[in-house]
Amino acid sequence: MLNLIVLFFVPFATSFAAFFFLPLAKRPLKAAAFMMSLLPLIILLSGEKSWIGSEINYDWLPGISIKFHLMIDYLSLIFLYLLAIVIPVSILAVRSAEIPYPNFFYGMVLLLQGLLIGFFTARDLAVFTIFWEGMLVPLYFIISLWGGPNRQQAAIKFLVYMIAGSTLMIAAVLALYFSAESLHGTGTFNIDVLAKIAEKAPYAPWLCAIFLLAFAVKTPLFPFHAWLPDTYYQASTAGTILLSGILSKAGIYGFMRIGLEFYPTLMIEWSPLLLGLGITGVLYGGLAAWMQNDFKRLLAYSSFAHVNFVLVGIFVWNQVAHSGAILQAFNHGITISALFMVAGWLEERLGSTSIHQASGLAKFMPLLCWLTLFFVLSNVALPGFNNFIGELMILFGLFSLHPWLAGILGLTVILSVIYMLRWMQKIYFQSPGFFQDSWIDIKGRELAISLPLIIIVMWIGVYPAPILKQIEPAVKKIASTESPKEAQ
Amino acid sequence: MNIVLQWSDFASISPLLILLGAGLVLLLLESFAVETAKKISFFLSLAVIISAFFAALYAPPSENQLLTNWLRFDAMSRLFTLFFLLIGLGSILLSSAFFRRFEASRGEYFFLLLSAIFGLILIGASADFLTLFLGIETLSISLYVLCGYMKRWGISNEASLKYFLMGSLAAAFLLYGIALIYGAVGTTKLDALLNGYHSLAKGTDKILFLSGVVFITIGLAFEAALVPFHIWAPDVYDGAPTPVTAFMSVGTKTGAFAAFIRVFFDALPQFDLIWNQGIALLAYPTLIYANAVAIRQIYLRRFFAYSGISHAGFLLIPLAAGTPDALSSLIFYLVVYVLATLGSFATIAYLDHKTNGVSIHDLQGLFKRSPMLAGILAFCLLTLAGIPPTAGFFAKFYVFKVGFQAGYYALVIVGLLTTILSAFYYLRMIGVMFSESPAEFTLPPRSWPAACVGLTSCAAIVFLSCYPAPILSLLTLANK
Repeated sequence: MLNLIVLFFVPFATSFAAFFFLPLAKRPLKAAAFMMSLLPLIILLSGEKSWIGSEINYDWLPGISIKFHLMIDYLSLIFLYLLAIVIPVSILAVRSAEIPYPNFFYGMVLLLQGLLIGFFTARDLAVFTIFWEGMLVPLYFIISLWGGPNRQQAAIKFLVYMIAGSTLMIAAVLALYFSAESLHGTGTFNIDVLAKIAEKAPYAPWLCAIFLLAFAVKTPLFPFHAWLPDTYYQASTAGTILLSGILSKAGIYGFMRIGLEFYPTLMIEWSPLLLGLGITGVLYGGLAAWMQNDFKRLLAYSSFAHVNFVLVGIFVWNQVAHSGAILQAFNHGITISALFMVAGWLEERLGSTSIHQASGLAKFMPLLCWLTLFFVLSNVALPGFNNFIGELMILFGLFSLHPWLAGILGLTVILSVIYMLRWMQKIYFQSPGFFQDSWIDIKGRELAISLPLIIIVMWIGVYPAPILKQIEPAVKKIASTESPKEAQ
Repeated sequence: MNIVLQWSDFASISPLLILLGAGLVLLLLESFAVETAKKISFFLSLAVIISAFFAALYAPPSENQLLTNWLRFDAMSRLFTLFFLLIGLGSILLSSAFFRRFEASRGEYFFLLLSAIFGLILIGASADFLTLFLGIETLSISLYVLCGYMKRWGISNEASLKYFLMGSLAAAFLLYGIALIYGAVGTTKLDALLNGYHSLAKGTDKILFLSGVVFITIGLAFEAALVPFHIWAPDVYDGAPTPVTAFMSVGTKTGAFAAFIRVFFDALPQFDLIWNQGIALLAYPTLIYANAVAIRQIYLRRFFAYSGISHAGFLLIPLAAGTPDALSSLIFYLVVYVLATLGSFATIAYLDHKTNGVSIHDLQGLFKRSPMLAGILAFCLLTLAGIPPTAGFFAKFYVFKVGFQAGYYALVIVGLLTTILSAFYYLRMIGVMFSESPAEFTLPPRSWPAACVGLTSCAAIVFLSCYPAPILSLLTLANK
């Protein structure tokens, strides 16, 4: 129990320190913030096997029956690792020379880290909701204070969209509490207890729809993505990394934790509709990305398409697909963070994010070109890279239930190749223009930053067995929620 | 039967006596020694409130029939007394910040403020309708003058007159309702109402009683600024000087709900389901109208009027539920609302520089000019919007839980949807503060009282967010 307390409180402590106690100059401040953001990763890596089952259970608000109950299980652990990797990457992607109020920025990122650790391990539905809505606050400030010219509007749109999607969740949570009271004797917000009775509660389809709406807006699933292009575009590089690498995973986690564990039969019943939305999202994202003349928007739509791919893996009721979805969520987090980071470096050198700004940069910046190409190939799911394993498993699972849909989804892979390689070709490989002073190639420092990500991408691509073994118990647990029904 | 007052009885009502005495001293001081009054009235009021606070903490309950016929000395009244004294403390501190910028006589002002607090305490401790009415009238009359305090401001005079005319009308409704209830059950003591109601045999008597209840509800709804009795609030809040607006938005609101609690939770708990359903019906237009109109507001005093009306709408949910749990949630929500609003007004007190008050354009780029002020205001606005992990979220959650439990599902859903609207206008204000171009004026010299208020409210909210258990247990204790 000691370990999870430490893991949970360290980011809040470091965030407080960053807000108030670090009056350093900008570069040491970034280094200090980076060190502090690595702490959860260090804690996670040094704990090893003992993480599963470690919990905090504290009677927080007895008057409203909210217990502060956090517990790590197999599903949470994967997302915790992803979080621990993406947050330091986002801090590294900050251009320390230009950022105003750096204290505030790093404090917000670390605060976000703490809130997300709480979110991924929450076992009390009220605490889950608190962290779900709470994570929007630091993100709002991160988007609104640092970024492009229209960032305030984008930030408000983002926030109001999110809140609109998830406010009704409070009503659903309360409804589950009271149905637990009538079905069980005592009302409780405990996720494990509620998972068993959620489908027997009155108005279960409505409650499920409300929950799914909240997750669909955050991930985002196809028709609820209107906030995505502007917000991803207007945020700074670090902000976009946080949005694409972590926020979408929070939505995916919600779909799995509540959608699949609470309402398995409803999800199976609705899977045609949800699959349709997901596949449409992949196609829509791919086609939109193909049309973009701005590579930040292109990556935003690409992220959207890939996230919908992951959701397709969740919506099809098949163990292989679910494993693939969890793995792909992790992979996507790594790959898209790396891609936005590399795109941020490119933007620094070009001065804008337009594709037509320059061409033939491979001649002047070969290292950056190859690094970008590496992550592009990973994104495109070339065999040997991480995304290949995840997407393959999802397609495999989908094929066994809906072969035609798997065919359509397979076509979208080609679409992703088209738009990503179009970007690469236009910027790096066409005939070079005149050299400009800002086109300095990346040095060893940036390579060192990318090295861990490269290693993870290759490792999972070539030898996915260890991580799949970690995912397996989580998938088995989800599958077991359906079997009581089957047994009847 | 002891009809002689002893020292212990005086000790029981010592907070009231201290306030009264100090108010009269201030008035005399103002009449005979204006310069001295200007210098020391603030510190005198501060000292008085703090001593009244300690007196209220340690005052023994009285058994004397002369007092208990009119005042109650239970845990609830002690809680309310302390609460109102803290509200008074906040308002006095904010007034000091105001008087540094604008010139007006101080002694009378603090006398009126102390009388208003006196009226509030009477409401919270009332055991009889007449005391309740006395408290409301003392509060209102002091506020009629306070609203019009800045004699040279046109809007201030207008606000005062509007408040006076409409307030008198509402008082008339209240009094008539009391009279009808007296006609039905023959007493105005709050304790005897429930038994009196149940012993009513004839249908006409019951109708008389219920009509009385309706009129009383209308009178109190006016005080609490519920739709459709809210029409006075925006203009009055806008015209009054900023510390008076702060006092009205927290003090009058809390006082009105204290009156609701005294009458409808203590005296007549769930006496007839139709009253609760009526309150729920009142909540719908309040929530929808206030949240919709607040979006268009530019001037902050007016904005906080609508914000207050919308929060009053949320407070109606536990009022409609009527269970003991609902009472705890109501008071908890009031505490969080008071803290957040006082914190916001602390920042506004710094920025106040025109008769019209602070507008949303004055907030632009506040973060660049003063991160501390922007941080305090942003935090308080987040609390009011009910965004986790601030205490505002817990308050709303508790209120919705209670409403859900009592079966008002549609009301809870409407409440949640209007929360989205409220999140929009609070967040837009935060967005303006963090935007680029600063408006062109410099900040006033530091004012430690306002800083006190701002920082204390933020600290209290943070404390409540992390560790609300002591307050919640205090409230359930107060219900016994």
